[in-house]
Amino acid sequence: MKAPRTDREKSVRRHVLIYAALTPYVFIAVFPIYWMAITAFKHERDLYVMGNIPFWFNLPPTLKNFYTLFYQTNFGSWIVNTMTISAWVAVITLLTAVPAGYALARLRLPGAENIGIAIFMTYLVPSIILFLPLSLVVATLGLQDSWWSLVLVYPTFTIPFCTWLMMGFFKTVPMEMEEAARVDGCGQLGALVRVVLPVSMPGVLTSVIFAFTLSMQDFLYGLAFVAPGDQKPVPVGVPTELIRGDVYFWGSIMAAALLVGLPVAILYNFFLDRFIQGITGGVVK
Amino acid sequence: MTTASLSGGPEPRAAAVSLPMRPTGRSWWQTAAVRRLSFGYLLLAPAALYVMLLVGAPFLFSLWLAVSDANVGEPVARFVGLQNFRDAVEMDTFWIAMRNSVVFLVVAAIFKGLLGTLLAFLLLQDFRGKKLIRGLVVIPFTLPVAISVLSWKWMYDSQFSVINWVLHQLGLIGGYGSESWPVWLGQPALALMACIAVNVWRTFPFSAIVLLAGFTAVPLEVLDAAKVDGCSFFQRFRNIVVPMIFPIFMIGFLFDTVFTLSDLSVVYLLTQGGPGNATKILPVLAYQIGIQAGNLGRGAAIALFLVPLLFPMLFLVLRNIKRKEW
Repeated sequence: MKAPRTDREKSVRRHVLIYAALTPYVFIAVFPIYWMAITAFKHERDLYVMGNIPFWFNLPPTLKNFYTLFYQTNFGSWIVNTMTISAWVAVITLLTAVPAGYALARLRLPGAENIGIAIFMTYLVPSIILFLPLSLVVATLGLQDSWWSLVLVYPTFTIPFCTWLMMGFFKTVPMEMEEAARVDGCGQLGALVRVVLPVSMPGVLTSVIFAFTLSMQDFLYGLAFVAPGDQKPVPVGVPTELIRGDVYFWGSIMAAALLVGLPVAILYNFFLDRFIQGITGGVVK
Repeated sequence: MTTASLSGGPEPRAAAVSLPMRPTGRSWWQTAAVRRLSFGYLLLAPAALYVMLLVGAPFLFSLWLAVSDANVGEPVARFVGLQNFRDAVEMDTFWIAMRNSVVFLVVAAIFKGLLGTLLAFLLLQDFRGKKLIRGLVVIPFTLPVAISVLSWKWMYDSQFSVINWVLHQLGLIGGYGSESWPVWLGQPALALMACIAVNVWRTFPFSAIVLLAGFTAVPLEVLDAAKVDGCSFFQRFRNIVVPMIFPIFMIGFLFDTVFTLSDLSVVYLLTQGGPGNATKILPVLAYQIGIQAGNLGRGAAIALFLVPLLFPMLFLVLRNIKRKEW
């Protein structure tokens, strides 16, 4: 016969069960990061010893891998490239997606719903189908072997996504605010710039973040279009330049992965719900 | 003219068009409606043009590439009909890649479905530290793919694999070099599974969060009402939860299918399709033939073999999105 349990005991029991079930998940999710981090700070000799326990330092931790990264590779350039590319992509995305999202959400254009869906659907045209024709576009414009080619092609996925996102966002701005502005003598553009945009700043910020994080997720375009070592963005530079033939600079590779991956993952983490909302946008409000 | 608006017709557009017209007597292009529309299309134009020029046109262009003999060396291409498709179908590698792609997709979908569903149920519970745990668990999805795959490549190292170290300590495998020492990326049967595992690791959080969004969209009142009416847990799940989350589940599933089928980075970075052709999937083959071998025509043809696999997906997503009013 079971003894009657108090609420507190029940709650504790429930928590223990939930944590027990979640532990493997957390472990699987986080271990590769931990492994990245510990490798990044290990001496090379410490990496290739089979007898020691590999989960902790057997030699004192070192910053040597980071020095190698910054002083003997183009890592610095890759970071600058990535930031510059992302900034341009964000600018292009904002200049196109914000007005388009506004027009589709608020101006009662005939067929707005279908146009919105059509634009969003282009997000689903995979880069593997587009990269060959785009390689010719890039070559025709003389952008091959320069990161400008990526500034040109990354908006092909950020614009559809962010237009869709902004469309949903503008729908939540109360119509009355805009009408009040119009009554007060603002033109259409004035109402948009002075009233709607300021209250939509969170949406605009979200679009900027996605222009950045979605650009970081690309590998194919960067691999196909940008060959010179100093022109690559980080996600392409690290695997292609730090692995030379069969020689792997694991310490430096993991240092690079840690330096870039962690901030992006943390940033993306905060906006993940918006990403999911965007994708499932039409289904769940 | 104003019957619709007088009778309380719900069409705001009709009212906006018709009301200001008579009293002012301005020409049609000066009406508020026309100005609103031209303003609207003007705002829409940059995004629409960008997408048409750099997604729509290249897509059509890839259809042309696929029926031409275009290659990197000779920019002037001739029409060769379905030759590229015929050549592709006659390649053994193509069929291996096709099979690997399908195996990859199905096996990965099963695992991330199971892992994602269980995780979604767990995250649906109320418990302390939920935000933190959720943040940790979704890390694989938020890391840039090229970065996280490198970490796996290191963990799969042929000699210093940390996975093997643990298995060896547990006595499950022999020492380095022995028969039972797995070389994850070097043995054909293991390599494909190793690539699939990384895809599952990367995307199970996505499955979970999408499902979670679906679960939380189910109104609790409906569930409570059904409970009061005597429905069992299974009945409630089967008749309320499943139909309500089905559309969102479909969307998540379809997005994941598209991304998984067309993603080259995991396999390319881990094995480049090897050993032999053991992990060659269609995107890797298309890249190798189109860019590395410079045969743009055949590369495009191979990439286009993904379209028949993808179009039903696009169609389903479209229908699901349109079904809900917004």
